Amino acid sequence: MEEARDYQVNLEVFQGPLDLLLFLIRKKKIDIHDIPIATITREYLAYLNQKAKINLEREGEFLLIAALLIYIKSQMLLPRESELEGEDDPRKILVDRLLDFQKIKAASTLLREKEGQQKRLWKRSAPPPLPIKQEVELVEVSVFELAEAFLSLMKRKEQENIRLIHGKEYSLEEKMKELIERLKENGYLDFREYFNSQESLEEALTSFFCLLELIKARVVIAVQESLFHPIKVWPTQGVPS
Amino acid sequence: MRTRLKDVIESLIFVSLEPLNLEKIKNICTEFSNSEIEEAIQELVESYVSNERGIQIIQAAGGYLFSTKSEHDQWIRRLLSLENKSKLSHAALETLATVAYHQPVTLAEISALRGVDASYSLKSLLQKKLVKITGRKKSPGRPLIYRTTDKFLTYFGLNNIKDLPSEEEILKILDEEKILD
Repeated sequence: MEEARDYQVNLEVFQGPLDLLLFLIRKKKIDIHDIPIATITREYLAYLNQKAKINLEREGEFLLIAALLIYIKSQMLLPRESELEGEDDPRKILVDRLLDFQKIKAASTLLREKEGQQKRLWKRSAPPPLPIKQEVELVEVSVFELAEAFLSLMKRKEQENIRLIHGKEYSLEEKMKELIERLKENGYLDFREYFNSQESLEEALTSFFCLLELIKARVVIAVQESLFHPIKVWPTQGVPS
Repeated sequence: MRTRLKDVIESLIFVSLEPLNLEKIKNICTEFSNSEIEEAIQELVESYVSNERGIQIIQAAGGYLFSTKSEHDQWIRRLLSLENKSKLSHAALETLATVAYHQPVTLAEISALRGVDASYSLKSLLQKKLVKITGRKKSPGRPLIYRTTDKFLTYFGLNNIKDLPSEEEILKILDEEKILD
């Protein structure tokens, strides 16, 4: 503990437990192939002890290596008949991992350099799509699409469950006049808005027939920008009185 | 004739957004023989080296592409109003190096090599298309296998996976670090 206090380094600065181990080994100027496992284990644990709490999510890996260190230490303590060498050395698993990790670290440094060089070279990339204001191409809506739009609108109205009071009669002639008046006033008619404002199914139906008649006579035209866009009704030319 | 071919290839490279490889050029320029094409490319690349131009033709991921010269970086960044180009995070770079040197490799193997869980950085590398999934390992759990992509090569200016820093270069770095210690 005392020793560790001299180096107030947070665990966060290390890229994992292997990084911390390498740091300890370097600090002690130890040969990686001949790690004094007892010393390193003590130092390593001292680092972990600096933290009052170990966040298992983030620092669980540090504990894993701690366990490995303690395991190796216990293996080293066992009395053996012959000197441990090469493959039998319990430290080998750790040394191999450290050597691999060291190489990856060094390779990262080299790649970082290359990244820096490449970042200074600008290559052609797909040009960002420019917000060009295009003339919208309008598509004329077929009678079927109109009917479909009308039906779905009426269905929605049905669900609203409005009580109707019957009585008022609508004539095609009157409705047509009204429709043309509206077109004259606003220039165009929003299909959904128009039929939503209709009071009853009868009125809506009458209006719809009017619209179909007017389209048939090419007095008005129903268009939309593209599929699923709002349908709008425009007079083909000057609206006849 | 050859001058024309050179110009054709130049325009092909210009239009391509990704490194244009020799195979593709050959497939397009069917009127010309392979040796003519190779010669023309050589000439084209050299003309960019000798001419005092702001752009150059570089080789990356096995193909040719245009790039600016590094000394013009600051003006280009001014044009694009960029302070600095974003770099890979430390964890992402280390994970990428692990994949590059140990591919084909699984997530568990990467995590073991780095000593930390690599799933998050691997995910971000997948999103950046610097690594890709190339299949499943025939081992328990059939884990996914990861490899680096052509974009990885272009990103680091490597023509080929063999262009990765060699073992000797890595050992040299390690030796230098030892001396510094």
